[in-house]
Amino acid sequence: MIDLLRSEWIKFHTVRVNFVLGTIAAAFPLIVVTLVALLSKNLDSASSDLVGVVTGTMVLTALLLGVIGALNVTSEYSHGTIRTTFAAAPQRVNVLLAKALITCLGTILFSAVVELVTLTIGSVIFNNRNADIHITGSDKAAMVGAVVLAGMLSLLGYGLGLVIRNSAATVALLVLWPLLLEGIIGAVLGVAGVDNALPWLPYQSALRMANRELGDGDPSRARAGLFLAVVVLLLAVIGIAVNDRRDA
Amino acid sequence: MIEIRGLTKRFGRTVAVDALSFDVNPGRVTGFLGPNGSGKSTSMRCMLALDRPDAGTAMFDGRPYDTIRKPLFEVGALLDAGYVHPGRSGRNHLRTLAAANGIGNERVDEVLALVGLTDAAKRRVGTYSLGMRQRLGLAGVLLGDPKVVILDEPANGLDPEGIRWIRDVLVHLAGQGKTVLVSSHQLSEMAQMADDLVVIGMGRLIQTGSVEEFVALHARRWVRVRSPQITEFSNALRQTGATITDVGGSAIDVVGSTAAEIGELAARSGVVLHELAPQQGSLEEAFLEATASAQEYRSSALTGAQQADVQSADQQPANQQHVGRR
Repeated sequence: MIDLLRSEWIKFHTVRVNFVLGTIAAAFPLIVVTLVALLSKNLDSASSDLVGVVTGTMVLTALLLGVIGALNVTSEYSHGTIRTTFAAAPQRVNVLLAKALITCLGTILFSAVVELVTLTIGSVIFNNRNADIHITGSDKAAMVGAVVLAGMLSLLGYGLGLVIRNSAATVALLVLWPLLLEGIIGAVLGVAGVDNALPWLPYQSALRMANRELGDGDPSRARAGLFLAVVVLLLAVIGIAVNDRRDA
Repeated sequence: MIEIRGLTKRFGRTVAVDALSFDVNPGRVTGFLGPNGSGKSTSMRCMLALDRPDAGTAMFDGRPYDTIRKPLFEVGALLDAGYVHPGRSGRNHLRTLAAANGIGNERVDEVLALVGLTDAAKRRVGTYSLGMRQRLGLAGVLLGDPKVVILDEPANGLDPEGIRWIRDVLVHLAGQGKTVLVSSHQLSEMAQMADDLVVIGMGRLIQTGSVEEFVALHARRWVRVRSPQITEFSNALRQTGATITDVGGSAIDVVGSTAAEIGELAARSGVVLHELAPQQGSLEEAFLEATASAQEYRSSALTGAQQADVQSADQQPANQQHVGRR
């Protein structure tokens, strides 16, 4: 398994598209947080503003990392390298598990670093402007939630990629899932008389993990992410099982 | 050694490989021949557990491919040189394969040198020519110095020097006692390097055996006779039941008599012979004869007008051209 992890790690960091997407995923929160820290006029709420912007921008970072997770799988099929991969390591389940592990751990590590660097830069700028930055327990939980969300979205992309095996369709579904798919489901549930559709919408529910403050009726962060975690796990298991049987 | 038994693969209603059975022996280059769509590539994918066969087995020294833990040490395979990520460097492509089998980067650099790609190792594969990709694919095959080598059309895209190089490599590998299975449409190349042949058509085995046996069985054989008294001698030969074809220049081709029989007749008839040469058709001719009834796609004889159409079509991209389907 260690050999397979090494192989997947080499694949993960030696393609340009991952580098480009990773750069955008890191640059976006860095630029936005820097601008907010430099331009913010209300220094009294600097701490909450800073954490809010960091976790808010990290959601987009998480989505981009989801795209990386999807492309790590679908590019193998679009370029035919999955055949080279399975020929070099015919125990397909092990290969796909190694790919999942590298994708998930890689994105979690990457997003954690980006988040910490972003927070540090924002804090330094705010502190230089005489603001008093202090991070509460709730702030820390939201920041951990953003990192976990990144890991889950990368696995969501991975699972969708395994099932769909097409880059464009997988990325489109990954992006449209919260906007369109869950929007429609929410609207249908609303018409059906469901007051709070959020618990039925795994993606939108999971976004609450990165919220600084949870509303009175909101589920806990762990519960908010649980539904998406189950969906992600289910997709990954189905994807691995299907690809173990299908022709490569 | 590769042992294929009853290998069958269907795609919907199409039977791509139909109960195929054959052996590939070590120390020999075995050519895997068949017309387009005959199931060669599908068979190879099934052998490597990339396609799941509907029936049958493919064993490498008694083991199915997907039970081999580090297959690059046992079986090196190149199915398509295009199976590479264009954004990754050649060296990194090989590193991904090597790492999966616990092979170090030193061996990666060694095989890159072996195939002559050291200078291009850090370039993205997307910038490689087809010939360079074939060399990269072969480098991947050689990574684990495997006992079995499987190559699907390895000479595609190679220049004459490259074709000769790959031929020498395969013959060398077989000389080391390795089992070499190679498919190719370049029959002249196959004739020069293959010891044995496995010929299939429409997914079924047509023949397996040595190249000599195959050519002897399927290729035409005749005797070229040249003589200043060719007209009289032709008449004498016809009386023996031989079939004569006048090829001009006081020469005939004789089918139905051996060179010895013709020589003896000439001696008895007092005919002077300037040439008496047994001839045999090529591997290409034998292949076409053997697979004549198993061609899924075949071009028909062209009329003058059709030839003009084809010449015009040659100006179009290859994927817009049409070939006759039987």
